[in-house]
Amino acid sequence: MRIAHYLNQFYAGLGGEEAADLGPRVIDGPAGPGRLLQQLLGEQHRIVATIVCGDDHAATTPGVSAELLGLARAAGAELLVAGPAFGSGRYGLACARLVAAATAAGLPALGSMHPDNPGLAEAGTAPVIAAGATAREMRPSLQRLAAAVAKLATSESLTAADGRIAQVARVGRLVERRAAWRAVDLVLRRLGGDTEATEIPVGGFDAVVPAAPLDKTASAAVALLTEGALVPAGNPDRLESARATRWLRYQIEGIEELATGAWESVDGGFATVAANADPNRMLPLDAARELERDGAIGRLHGEFLVTVGNGTSVATARRFGVEWAAELRKAGVQAAILTAT
Amino acid sequence: MPRVERSRTVQALRRVVHTVHTVELGETTGYEQGRLLVGRSQAEARYADPALAAVRVHVASPGDAVRIIAPLDVVEPRAKGPGGGMFPGWLAPVNRRRGPETHVLRGAAVLSAGYLPRNQEGLIDMTGPAAELSPFGGTHNVVVEFDPADGASWAEVDAAVRRGSLRLAAHLAEAAVEAEPDAVEELAEPHRPGEPTGGLPRVGVITNLQTQGAFKDVFVYGRSMAGSLPTLFDPAEVEDGAVVSGQYGHPALRNPTYLHQNHPVLAELRARDGRDLRFAGLVLSPEPVEQSGKELCSTHAAWLCRAAGFDAAIVTKEGAGNADNDLALKVDALEALSLAAVALYAEMSGPDGTGPPLVAGPRRGALVSTGNYDQRLRLPAVERALGGDRLRILDVDATAAIEAPVAMMLSALSPLGAGRLTCRAEEAA
Repeated sequence: MRIAHYLNQFYAGLGGEEAADLGPRVIDGPAGPGRLLQQLLGEQHRIVATIVCGDDHAATTPGVSAELLGLARAAGAELLVAGPAFGSGRYGLACARLVAAATAAGLPALGSMHPDNPGLAEAGTAPVIAAGATAREMRPSLQRLAAAVAKLATSESLTAADGRIAQVARVGRLVERRAAWRAVDLVLRRLGGDTEATEIPVGGFDAVVPAAPLDKTASAAVALLTEGALVPAGNPDRLESARATRWLRYQIEGIEELATGAWESVDGGFATVAANADPNRMLPLDAARELERDGAIGRLHGEFLVTVGNGTSVATARRFGVEWAAELRKAGVQAAILTAT
Repeated sequence: MPRVERSRTVQALRRVVHTVHTVELGETTGYEQGRLLVGRSQAEARYADPALAAVRVHVASPGDAVRIIAPLDVVEPRAKGPGGGMFPGWLAPVNRRRGPETHVLRGAAVLSAGYLPRNQEGLIDMTGPAAELSPFGGTHNVVVEFDPADGASWAEVDAAVRRGSLRLAAHLAEAAVEAEPDAVEELAEPHRPGEPTGGLPRVGVITNLQTQGAFKDVFVYGRSMAGSLPTLFDPAEVEDGAVVSGQYGHPALRNPTYLHQNHPVLAELRARDGRDLRFAGLVLSPEPVEQSGKELCSTHAAWLCRAAGFDAAIVTKEGAGNADNDLALKVDALEALSLAAVALYAEMSGPDGTGPPLVAGPRRGALVSTGNYDQRLRLPAVERALGGDRLRILDVDATAAIEAPVAMMLSALSPLGAGRLTCRAEEAA
């Protein structure tokens, strides 16, 4: 089988974060982890091309999946393999979107990433094989991926036994007993020594490791972000008041402060009276400009990014986080202030 | 030292239940054999207030092709009989003479609806698939729409509508005081620490009340609980309306006054009292907005439960993300003191249920799922809408066929445990 292998700029050996805005390109044959994957695949399957794109470019450019898919097709690929992306958000998003696009276009495709990768949800019905959380688990991840490729080549479908990450859906349903009855039942079971019983798994929240402090704030580009749904008065782009499905950007280049009446918060989850009376208290543009004038920061980024946190699902919020990080990196921003309500 | 004899001078509360089978509008309010007649002008008079220009009274019963949009509070009609005493802090002084009987019009509800700032738009369908998800799709509702008076502030309008609904609820139930009851229910006081347990565990409930300021506040004896420490509270007073909601956030995650009056966890603890457990009591707690306040209330609530001799506690909340942290901290604090703890959470796992279910959760304890906030339902068109003409959030006519998340359906994910929704993991093929 002829395989096109998708990698980000780092694993393709084209550079680190400084090269993250690299556009799509092709390397003949396997590259980086593709070489070990080729060894594991043996002679039956051949990586004919490595398709590469920088993480920021891939995460922020509309239509990039179609472009990457075109490169794979041009290389005569019969199968597209993407990753392993491990736990990397932008890389995972790119892999997931690419395998989804390939599957939708009729080209068999297989992704590889950690089950907690924020990109996973974008893979749709395309199969994704579990990888470790970090590149320390490169070899076992590639072994699992190679075995899955071999199985897929025989037209067998992949299952959880192959490491396929099953989409576990928590399905809502009506049951006989109301929640209060079930709560009493659960507390009695717990008192009786059954410490495992629960209707929702307990624990497992990921901790965010803060980035290292800036060396020099005086030369740093700083962005302002908010999940408080601050938009131009009248909400021309119709940002949701709850349960966001998207985020928006607004220019603040040359604006010294946010004028009362020109901006409003459409957040449905908190009392917006004070924020509307002085929008700078929601998005501290006046204070940030002062710091910029005083030379305490290098420059303020020319636009702010905004969504509504109210009722927005964790999965959606994690994807926004990945997209915002890519946007800001691409724009050369070193620090961001994200105000929350 | 003389031994102090503990005598029980306070009688247990008796719920005198009158079941409502039909509700109609008419000339004079009356109740007879399950039929509640609502005197239109008598009802309107309960809302007399300088902040209101007009009110309109409607009825909506289960099965009617009616959608109620922008619902505000819901109140169960209850009355103490001659002399009053219902809704202490609002319609009666707290130190009133407290009669031992509370008349209940079971199956009926007074429900105000209409625009208020921060009233996050919800709905109740009286027919179709959403009807069985909201507790108020199954009640005979006396629905009150209102027009603010010129110059009245929204806070004044809110207070006027609340007072009106409480007065109307008491007025309607007073009509049944002389009627032959359908049932009389004795509500025992909580088990006292130190009394024999018969080997049964003492289980209580902590109920967090949202305290986020105007339009997002819950009142205890007429006052916001913001700034208070958690406190042990007399559950009989909750039956008599000591807890009143003025909280209009996330519709599916709201606890209207009706659900405090009929607190589902209290009811289930009482139902199993003496059989599987001893009902140990009720703790009310605010849900502060600052992290330090959340930590303070959690630490103190756990101490209070231990001091009151609880072996276990069920913890309930109101609202979304912010409130999930209060649940998590309380469960962790209880478990750290070796009390078994269970919390009631709604999930937010996206429309297809594949996302992480919780924003914040405890490290230990056990969790009940009251359903998925993001699950979507198709609702058929209805003949008539009350509470407004348009669903603003979807930008459609209020009677239209719509697709809407469970999040919009009033109390469908009831954090007090009124509903039968849950979620279960199902692996796709």
